[in-house]
Parts: sequence; C-alpha cells; structure tokens
Amino acid sequence: MRTYTPEQDALFADYTRTTNRWGRLTLFIGFVIATAVPFIVLVTTDLGVTLGQVLTAFLAVAAVYGAFYVIEPVTYFPILGPAGMYQAFLIGNIANKLVPSAIVAQSTIEARPGTRKAAYAATAGISGAAAVHVISLLLLVGLLGTWIVSVMPESITDVARLYILPSILGGVMVQLIATLKQPKSTAIAIAVSLVVVLLLVPNTPKIVSSFAIALCVVLTVAVAWFLRSRGTVDEDEPEQEGSLIN
Amino acid sequence: MIRAQGASTDIGAIANLPLLWVLALSVLGVILLQSGVYMVAVRKNAAGAGMTEKEVFQAFRAGGVAAIGPSLAVVLVAIALLPLFGTPSILVRIGLIGSAATETASASIAAGTMGANLGDATYTQDVFLVALFAMSLSGACWMIATLILTPMLSRGEAKLTQVNPALMAIVPSAALLAAFAGLTVTELPKSGYHVLAVIVSAVIMAICLWVARHRHQPWLREWALGFSIIGGLVAAYLATN
Repeated sequence: MRTYTPEQDALFADYTRTTNRWGRLTLFIGFVIATAVPFIVLVTTDLGVTLGQVLTAFLAVAAVYGAFYVIEPVTYFPILGPAGMYQAFLIGNIANKLVPSAIVAQSTIEARPGTRKAAYAATAGISGAAAVHVISLLLLVGLLGTWIVSVMPESITDVARLYILPSILGGVMVQLIATLKQPKSTAIAIAVSLVVVLLLVPNTPKIVSSFAIALCVVLTVAVAWFLRSRGTVDEDEPEQEGSLIN
Repeated sequence: MIRAQGASTDIGAIANLPLLWVLALSVLGVILLQSGVYMVAVRKNAAGAGMTEKEVFQAFRAGGVAAIGPSLAVVLVAIALLPLFGTPSILVRIGLIGSAATETASASIAAGTMGANLGDATYTQDVFLVALFAMSLSGACWMIATLILTPMLSRGEAKLTQVNPALMAIVPSAALLAAFAGLTVTELPKSGYHVLAVIVSAVIMAICLWVARHRHQPWLREWALGFSIIGGLVAAYLATN
C-alpha cells in the first residue's frame, strides 16, 4: 500500500464527499421521477384502478423479488463502493454492463483493485458506460424504436405484443438454469410450477390463481430448503453473483 | 383530461401522454447529471490518487466502449417490448434499475393478479396501469434499499452478510427459478403458438450459450436474449400468418 500526502488525502475526502452527496441526491430524484410515472397516468386519466388492485399486484411481485431488494445492495457494495452504489442502483444493468465497464477501465490504466486509483477508474468507467447507456436509449429506442413501431405493419406489432412474453421466458428460463447451476432447485421449481399452474389454478377460486406465481415461489423455496444437502454447504454452491438479477 | 375507458385495450392512448415523455427524458437527464458531477469530482481530485488527467479520460472512454455491446443488446429487447408498454414507460423502466426480464416478469405477475395476460384481449388500460405501478414500486424498493443501506454499509454497521450462508445460497436462486418456471408454464396452455415461441426461444438460448462457452465467444452471452426473443417472435409470426 502506498502512502498519500495530507494534500492527497484532502482531495480524496473531497471526492468522497461530493460523490456521496450528489450520488444520494441524484438517486433520490431518479426514484421520485420513476415512481411518479404511474401516479401521473392515474391522475390524468379516469381509469378505475383501485388501491387494492395496486397493492395486490405489488405484493405478488415483492414475493418474488423482495429478498433481492436487500441482497443486491449488500452484495454489490464491496465491489462498487459507496460512489458506485448510487450510480449502479440508478442505472441498473449492473452485472451485464456497469461492473464489466468498471473492470475494463481499471485494467486499461492498470489500477490495482482496492486502491484509490481503482476507485476513481471505476467511477470514470461507469460514467462512460452511463453516457453510452443514455445515448443508446435516447437515439435507438426513443427515436428509432418509436419510428420503427409506427411504420411496422400491424400484423407484426400484434405478434410482438401477443408473443413477446413466451419469447422472453423460454430464453430466460434456459439462461437461469445454465447460470445458477442448481439442478435440484430447478427440478423442484419446474415440478411445483406444473402442479400449481396446471392442476391447482384451474380448480381453485380466483384468490388462489391471482397469487399463482407467488405460491410457486413460496412452495419451491420451502421444498428446496427442506431437501437441501446438509453439511457440505459452500463446496458445491455457485458464486452468489450468479443469482443476482440486476 | 383524457377520457379513457379502463376496459379499452388501446394502451397507446395512455402510454404516450406528453407528460410521460417529459418524465422519461428527465430520468435520462438525471443519469447524465450524476455522471457529469462524478466526472468533475474525479478530474478535480485525480491527484489525490496520483492519477493523471489522461488516465481519467482513458478510464472514461474504456468504460464507455465496453458498454456498447451490452447497450445494443438491451436496445434490441427494449424495442421488442415497445408495443406492450409504449416508449416513455420503456425508457424509464429499462433506463433505470431493473432489466428486461425482471420488468416483464413483474408486469406479467401484476397482470396475473387481475386475471389478465400481457398483450391479449384481457390486457386493458387498467391492467397496463396496475402493471406499471407494480414495476415502478418494485424498482423503487431497490432504490430505497440502496439509499438506506449504502451509508450503513459505509460505516460498517450492516452485517447482513453474516446471515446463514446456506439460506443465502438457496433462497434467492430458488425464488428466481420458481418465478420464471411458473411464468413459463402459465404461457403453455394459452395456445400452440405460445408453446412454439417458448421452445424456439429456449433452443436459441441454449445454442447461444453452448457456442459462447465452447467456441469462446463471450459477446454471444449478452446478445443471446435478444436473439432468443427475435427467434421466438419470428417463429410465432410465421406460424400465425
């Protein structure tokens, strides 16, 4: 570890202060704007959506992702540091875009992990990635994408709307199975889903079918936990990053 | 005031409100503002780590170039989702925390609680709004957790990593597998075309991952989902037309 002069320490303290203050502020503003979107639709239209419907839908989603709200920040913190945390959880695409960019930036200027230089390089690298992220969304999705959809024949957009979900799910399912490498949990999840979705849902009142996915999650977690291989824990378990979703 | 019947399936009428465009652009603006402030902070204080101005620029450029491939892959998926949610919502949901798979799963689960499916005749304006709420509130939870946890982690107070490692290894991945298995199985009874789309998408993903690993083409991992989605949609189009 090299030592720094007091002037350098002051500079680094200034960097830490600025990035923490502005990081928190910008993440908070991003949170407010993004959360305002559905409320804007609610007040500018006269749709008959009730609080109960929104809460029910949110609870069903939180049943799946609830654990990740806490696990992901805790897992990424040692990799990203406080400055990078505020960037990463504003922008998303952490594992596929931001972390690789930070690593490439560090290796480009040969900054050793854990040093101040590495922290600076990561911040600069993620900022570069953020710029590319925004520009690509603005030009290719905002302008070009909107135009593509507007000139596309209705027969194609109809197919896209109707079959986008199965087209995403088939791929994501294989990707999950391949990345997580948990054959036992995979088998349990598929078996539970078949029983819940194909047998339970058609034969139960709507209150059960509304929460079919949440039910799949709770049952799978319970069975996987009950049938876990005890004793030899860490050896065969995959890297924790494998199960992160952002 | 826009007069809309909640039972209408004209999502475009409410998904493209001018105010939503303003919010979507503001969100992208906030990301640029944050990166701008961060870059100024790095440049101003680079000497604190014995880093030159040139190295700061090199790091910025390297990070940007590394992000081009993943960004284009995300764009491909985002465009395929446009007919479902409209451009402003896609820009906010894909532009901020979250991913295409996470958001679509959330929307689908939310629609399910109303007995509806994304994209078909049951996908009314009401369902769209409830799905948008669920995606937004779920994304908000990640942001709130980060705002609360980061200062605690900086002070070394949060010792959540010390919870039972077996629990941490099993619960999150089992939850993910169960959610996506459940969503996938839900698609199957809808029609033969749905089954076809699932199978084609799954096969293309398997091929991409196999080639990525055995022919050492890591870029294919990022593009795999985009290719799978296009493949599934093309198969559905050919089968239905």
